[in-house]
Amino acid sequence: MPPVIVESSRFGTLEIEESAVIEFPTGLIGLGSTRWALVGDSTDGPFQWLHSLEDGTLALPVTNPWAFFPDYAVELSDADTAKLGADEATVLVTVRAGAELSDFSANLRAPILIAEGRGHQLINEVADAPVRAALFGEVAETAVA
Amino acid sequence: MLIITRRPGEKIMLGDDIVVHVMEIVGNSVRVGVEAPRSIPVYREEIWNAVRDENRAAADAAPRALPQPSEQDA
Repeated sequence: MPPVIVESSRFGTLEIEESAVIEFPTGLIGLGSTRWALVGDSTDGPFQWLHSLEDGTLALPVTNPWAFFPDYAVELSDADTAKLGADEATVLVTVRAGAELSDFSANLRAPILIAEGRGHQLINEVADAPVRAALFGEVAETAVA
Repeated sequence: MLIITRRPGEKIMLGDDIVVHVMEIVGNSVRVGVEAPRSIPVYREEIWNAVRDENRAAADAAPRALPQPSEQDA
């Protein structure tokens, strides 16, 4: 099967193998778009991009939450667990980039779970999971200063 | 907007597949049950709003906005 070609506003022409396409049956919350792919090498720093294959201007930075929040926990409702339909999933969280490292945050409330080529952005039922959790605490600020 | 009056125990149908139960009213809270097909996500509105705003903000990032590994290690 030929690769999917995306004209990305950020990265130029992208060639995505069909096997790397992630179907989001209900899109990302408030953004829609049902076909996405991860762009960027996860060994090349903590961030990748979840890039829409339907809208070349639509992409979100994502990261592995446990790289920053070792105690992070995800608890899904029974309905969401059934929707996922798999025992294991890759968990990513969206990242809001800021002008300073101290402004970077991750959305721990609505993680993205990917299993068997399908993705869902689900609500984490853990009571205090923040929508905006600082990624780099004072340690990082000190290191950059 | 459709505005209708329902009593506890009564229901509302949205199409053929979605049922909204008005379960009980306690003080100024209404307990509502929603039965919907798995393909229809159900959210509390304020959470849906917060996540949508966060998704939009995340999608505004330019590639250069992300710190490179060298910056992290510094």
